This record gives sequence, C-alpha cells and structure tokens, in this order.
Amino acid sequence: MSMSAIIVMIASIIALWGVASYALIVSIRHEEHKLALIRSQGDFEPYSPRAFRDLERWLTQHPESEHAPEIREWQQSQRQSMKRNPQRFYDWSHADDIREAP
Amino acid sequence: MTTTISREQWGSRFGYLMAVVGAMVGAGNIWRMPYVTGENGGGAFLIAYFLLLYLIAVPGLMGETSLGRYTRQGLIGTFRKVYGDNRLVGLGLVILIFNIVLMSYYSSIVGWSIYYAFHAVLGTFTQTGFDTAALWRNFSGNTALNVGMHTVAMLMVTGILLFGIKGGIERLAKWMMPILTIALIAIAIRGVTLPGAMAGLEFAFSPNWEYLARGETWLAALGQALFSTGLGWGIALTYGSYLGRNDDIPLGGGIFTAIGNTSFGLLAIFAVFPIVFAFGISPSSGAELAFVALANAFGSMAGGYFWALLFFMGFFFANLTTAIAITEVGVTTYREERNTSRTKSVLTICGVIWLLGIPSAMNANILGYLDFVVGNWGLPLATFIVMIAIGWKFDAHRLRVVSLNRGADLYVPRVWELVIRYQIPAIMLGIMAYFLYSNLGQTPWKTISGLVILTLMIPLCMWIMSRRHDTPYVAKPKGGQSS
Repeated sequence: MSMSAIIVMIASIIALWGVASYALIVSIRHEEHKLALIRSQGDFEPYSPRAFRDLERWLTQHPESEHAPEIREWQQSQRQSMKRNPQRFYDWSHADDIREAP
Repeated sequence: MTTTISREQWGSRFGYLMAVVGAMVGAGNIWRMPYVTGENGGGAFLIAYFLLLYLIAVPGLMGETSLGRYTRQGLIGTFRKVYGDNRLVGLGLVILIFNIVLMSYYSSIVGWSIYYAFHAVLGTFTQTGFDTAALWRNFSGNTALNVGMHTVAMLMVTGILLFGIKGGIERLAKWMMPILTIALIAIAIRGVTLPGAMAGLEFAFSPNWEYLARGETWLAALGQALFSTGLGWGIALTYGSYLGRNDDIPLGGGIFTAIGNTSFGLLAIFAVFPIVFAFGISPSSGAELAFVALANAFGSMAGGYFWALLFFMGFFFANLTTAIAITEVGVTTYREERNTSRTKSVLTICGVIWLLGIPSAMNANILGYLDFVVGNWGLPLATFIVMIAIGWKFDAHRLRVVSLNRGADLYVPRVWELVIRYQIPAIMLGIMAYFLYSNLGQTPWKTISGLVILTLMIPLCMWIMSRRHDTPYVAKPKGGQSS
C-alpha cells in the first residue's frame, strides 16, 4: 500500500471509529451521572451556563412573544433546581451564580 | 385535535443509541459505500464526505431529533404543533407516505437478505462447484418466492414492533448492532489477511486529489451523506419523540448517529474490498456485489461457511433494524392520529406496507421505479420540508434555546441555526434540480411521471388534512396524559 493510502486509512479510522466510540462513551458516562443525580437529589439543572444565558437572552429579546410563558417556565424550573440541589450536572465554576437571581 | 398519548421512553442511553444508529445503517452502508468510495477518488471522496457529514448531516439530525423530543409526537402531530391545525399539516402526511412507499420496496431487500442468510445457515455457498450467479438469477425470477420473502420480512417487522419501543426495537438493536460490528470486524480481519487484499485497500483509500475538484465527487459524497443518514425522513424525529426531556441530543442524536453510521460504511470497506480484490472480482455495488460476487468468494475461502454466515447474518441485521425504523414512523403517527392501541397500529401499518410491497416483490422494475422517484425527489423533498418547518416555521433559534441545548452533553452555538435555515434547504433544492436535469434526457418518462405524482401529492395531502380538520373529532384519551 502507498503511504498516502495508509495515512488516509488511519485518519479515517480515527475520524470515524475514534469519534463515534468517544461520543458513545462520553454520552453513556454523562447519562450515568444524570441518573446518579436523579437518585440522590431528585433532579438536576437541565441547562448548561451557556444554554441558560441563551434562554435568558431570548426572553429579554422576546418578552411579549406567545412562547415567552413556556420559556419563563423553563427558566423558573432551572432556577428552582439550582436552589434546591447542592450538586450540579454542568460545570458552573466559571459562570455567574444565578441561584439568587429574581 | 391531537391527544398526547402517554408515551413510552427508551429504556437506556445505550439502547437508544444502538436503535438510532441501527435505523441509519442499512444496505447502502454495506453494498454501496465501498464502491462509491473507490470509484470517486478513494481518500479524496472520504474527505469530501467527512466535510459534508459534519456540515449537513450532523446539524440536520440534531434539529430533527430535537423537534421530535420537543413535540413528543409522530410526524403529523409534530406538523400540527408547528403549523397549527390547518392544511399545512398535510406536509407531514406527504413525508409519511414517502416512508410507507420506501418501506414497501425496502421490505423486498430485507426479504433478499433473509433468503441469503438462510442459505448461509444451510451452507449452500460452500457446496462444491456452486453457482451463485445461478442462485441469484433463479431467486430473482421466482415471483412467488420473492413475495414469500417480502411476507416473511413484514411478519418479522410486525412481530418486533408489537413488543413496542423498549421491548421490541431497543431490545433488538442492543443485540443486533454489536453483533453486526463484531461480524464486520471479523470479516475485515480475515479479508486483509488474504493474499492480494492490500490492493482492495489501496483502491478504496488511495487519494486521487484531482477528484476533489470534480463536481461528481461532491455530489456522490452528498448523496451518500444524506441518504445513508436518513436525514429528514421522520425517523430521527420519531425516535427523538421517545427521548426524555433532559436527555442529550447533540452528542448522541447528532454526532454519534451520523459518525457511527458512517463508521459502519468504513468497516464495510475493510470487510468487502480486500475479499473482492483477493479473489479478482470486479468491484461493483448493489445486489450483484453482495449476492453474487461475495457469496462466490466466501464459497472459495477456507472456513467459508463461517464467513458467509457472519456476513449474511450481519447484512440481514443491518436491513432489519432499518426496516423497523422506517415502519415505526408510520406506526407512531397512526397510533396518535387514530388514538388507537399500538397493536392495532402495528397491524394496520404493516398490513398496508405488505399489500403495497407486493408489486415491488413481483417485479424488479416497479421496485426500481419507486426507488428512482423516492430516492431522487421524495427523500430530498422530505428533508427540505422538515428543515423549513424547523428553521422557519418553528424557528431554529427557539428550538436551539428550548430543546436542543437542554440536557445537552455538547453546547450547540448559533451558527447551527444558519445551517438549518439556509444551507440544508438550499442544498436539497440543488439536489432535486440536478437530478431533474441529469435524468430528464436519459429517462424522460420516468422523470416526468415521478414529478407529476409528487407534484399532485402535496396539494392532495393538504386537502386530506384540511378535510380532517373540518370534521369534528373527539379524541379518546388513552392512558395517562403527559405534555
């Protein structure tokens, strides 16, 4: 086999089987973490810091939207979960603390 | 009008991931991907393919799965939640019909793989002087046998779907997909150790960079990336509707599904081409490759019974998990729309598919015609409809904020919205226009008749759904209600 074919073959294995295997392992580990949190404290915060900032930004931009009540419900649910639960699913160490936000 | 019936959920993360990747891994991964790769510049094709996979299939699958998880409805119920209770819900019916038609002829392919898996069990291919070409000729020419195998395939699909999402689809996929993986790895190891096998890998992976500048390479890569992942057919949407509210979508439903599916294509390259080259068989694709060339090669190999058994059982598993997923789209939707039991829905949808599939089982030209119409325009049109519904009507931004990034293992940034709104719909229109341009001169009757059928189908489905909207309908709640 030529060197270029060997390089493409190895790169394909890494780009496909490597990525797929990594995604499978990470996904299952995160799911186990979620289940552990549910068992120990009932639930966990559904949004990551960045995702929650997007949710709040959406509400700021569309306060009168017909969908605003639903998104406010998710916002409240996240806040209550963060107030209620001592353990987090996402890493909040670099995020602004939203537990005391109104 | 829609009642949200209390829904089953996937029993485990592994089960969902195996089911969804099993849905996408089908005949095309095994009998098409190796040949398309080798014919389009090998490594150059793979680079084009990876790019398109990440730019189109991964974001598209994230959107479709996310919409299903948000609405927790099948196809028509989802379109009703997105468009409101009006005639545009008919667009969901259009996609549902594509699925049923697709399954009506895919069932014949499942039937072929059952027939060959059965022969592999019997050890037919390892008999001295056995002629695999004659077996395929006789089988193809035997109408009763083809209808029989189509019937067996639909009975299997029916039996599995009767056990439900968790007890049927998930349980099956959790076993079949790992077995398929092991079978292909074992065949690949055997293949690459055959004398002359390296020429096959050289054919598949050697990069001819000039191919990257050819439009045909990119079109082939686009076709493989879209059709292999089943983007926009309602499968990801239906499977996503059985996910929990806080389950991850971007990593599992997007990246793992698209990349995992392609990984099976790569494994097929390792499993198929070394054997093809080692036995001096001309590289080809489709039924001829699997049922004649490879069957013949297995017969000549040491331990051929075992290798043929592994290959044809694996091929059957790949086809069966796909068939189950395509049929489940109809079952979920019918159950919600008619507010009936799962058993009745499975029997009705499988019965309809079985009846519609008889002509395709009897006549390969009908199968070819349906594949031509559905593959060239039906499925790209379905993808276009789903992406417009997500990107523009539901609003890609809102979907990303409320559903896609909820419980996600991976944060999806705003650029995803542009892909869903502009990139994928534009590419779908381009594909349909290209197929029209390239087929009109060669097969004008097939092209025009196919387009007429599709063009008439959209207003007809919209009319049907607007009539249904006008008819008073009282939903009978079944089981507990959940939002």
